[in-house]
Amino acid sequence: MKIRSDILRTYQLVHTWTGIVAGLVLFIGFYAGSLTMFEDELTHWATPSNHHLPQVSTDKLDDLIAKASASSDKVSQGFTINLSDELSPITWFEQGGGRRLALDDVKVHGTLSEDGNLLTQTEPTNELGNLIDLLHRTAGIAGKLGHEDLGVVVLGVASVLYFLALVSGIIFLLPTLTKSFFALRKNKGPNRFWLDSHNLVGIVSLPFHFIIAWTVIVFAFHDVLYDGLSLVYGDEPTFERVASPAVEYSMDDLPPISTYLRKVETLTDGYHVESIAFSGLLSARPSVGVTIKNTQEMMRNSTGDFIYMHPYNLNVTYSSIPMSENEYYVTYVASFFSLHFGGFGGNTGRWLYFVMGLLGAFLFYSGNLIWLEKRRKKAPIQSQSNRSMANLTVGICLGSMLAVAVTLFSSKWLYLFNTEINYSYLTCYYLIFFTAVIYSFIRGAAISAIHIQYATSIACLLIPITSVVTRFIASSDHWASRDLGSIMVDVVAFVFAGIFYFAAKKTKNRALYGERNSIWAI
Amino acid sequence: MSRLSAEQKIQPHWWSKTFAGVILGLTLSYGLVAIFAWFGPGGLEAVAKNQFNMWMISPFWMLVISFTYLFKTGFKAILYLTLANILIYGVFLVLRWMS
Repeated sequence: MKIRSDILRTYQLVHTWTGIVAGLVLFIGFYAGSLTMFEDELTHWATPSNHHLPQVSTDKLDDLIAKASASSDKVSQGFTINLSDELSPITWFEQGGGRRLALDDVKVHGTLSEDGNLLTQTEPTNELGNLIDLLHRTAGIAGKLGHEDLGVVVLGVASVLYFLALVSGIIFLLPTLTKSFFALRKNKGPNRFWLDSHNLVGIVSLPFHFIIAWTVIVFAFHDVLYDGLSLVYGDEPTFERVASPAVEYSMDDLPPISTYLRKVETLTDGYHVESIAFSGLLSARPSVGVTIKNTQEMMRNSTGDFIYMHPYNLNVTYSSIPMSENEYYVTYVASFFSLHFGGFGGNTGRWLYFVMGLLGAFLFYSGNLIWLEKRRKKAPIQSQSNRSMANLTVGICLGSMLAVAVTLFSSKWLYLFNTEINYSYLTCYYLIFFTAVIYSFIRGAAISAIHIQYATSIACLLIPITSVVTRFIASSDHWASRDLGSIMVDVVAFVFAGIFYFAAKKTKNRALYGERNSIWAI
Repeated sequence: MSRLSAEQKIQPHWWSKTFAGVILGLTLSYGLVAIFAWFGPGGLEAVAKNQFNMWMISPFWMLVISFTYLFKTGFKAILYLTLANILIYGVFLVLRWMS
């Protein structure tokens, strides 16, 4: 396809600069996003197995709720019934709770003993999965802008640039697309190979990238967009407010759990209930949120769909699945969320999104490398700006991954020292991350890329080793869980130890034997 | 392809084109979504349509920003996008007036 050269030139510039400006934060957003596909598994893996109490049969749950609410006033403010075998049947917050991420929440886990007595255990919550999600949403940029996280807004702006980079990338690739689409030219030097793989990955996963760019823009700016939309609507209200009748309820009026299960069965098709979360049971606005799952459907996200109801009269107040056939807009909106969160296709879908996220991260990393190569001068020492960008690319991208790997491997050790686990995660991440960035500026991109990748490989290797060792260390926390999810965390860490080792060796090879006039030569 | 003279080529004009795409592209997207919101399937009242409308703003907006660099000059970008805005909002107001 022929395109005028001035158009190509224009869009090449758009692609280069949007990519360079947005690439680094998007890299973190993407690889951390891959990890969030398994955030529940990661949290479960990081939580000592004896924090969860044994499950009880469904018909005993009502007895459990009655005994729990008699034991503590906190229960009426909110509690969660988990139906999964791996989680405690009932939990409530002794401290904290609410929808915002808090690092010092304390949860009470409850169950019934064989002879029907209430057993409880109070533990600080483990927020590993939520912290990885926070890293995914903010790229680790702390601070607030209004009531929104600054990092979310930064990623929103980055996603606008990312959208531009996608469109411009396609435009200036069009003339050579059919000729070099599947070409991975290894014999034309490493630069051509990087460029070919960058193009191939970009084109193959293009729909995914458009979806992600679009949804991130919406997630970051939905408040602003809604505000503008209210002008469009004129005097028409955009959201209906449901007036709450001033009825006083008591916990005794609460229907049995089986009622909710039956209600969900009549409302949905093929879904099973994962958990039921009650809140504000004695307030004027009591609510119950039921998390439901059906891997055959486009679910809101990979952890399921939800239905909110009035806990006493079971009127549905909000749901992420359509309640009747003419609610087709609910289906559309749900599918947008689902396409971002990988809420379809069950485990296969999650693994696919995991891989796509990593390929996305590769896209940004390789894009930066190609830019650096293009600006290369035929001189042993490259320009200051080039070296700085190389240092930043290595320090931020590889440093962030190293920081996560080290945090994961230190998790179980931190429990041994009774630290405040969630704060320790944060300290550990930022300490390693900034050390890596500073290190790459001191030692230069070439050497630090090799060292950071070796270090990440070792940290990844230590994750499964830690899991094996801590199993045999006597402490108050037990690590005996043998569920598939937790084992897979260790297995995948082991695989990545190999990948990072291989990548480090390749980088070292290039540094020693590659072209001399390169920022990657040492 | 014959070689283009300097005047025939697309001028960079990054700032004015970006301004046109970001501001006028946004208002244009709101105009399109406004027509859809009032007169699209389900009218104003359909369940969750408000959310759907909000989702639809950014794709139009992003496409306008993406292609605004095809205008030959920044002035033309502003001119044509302003005209497009007037057209869309004109259609919207006529439809509102007729209904």
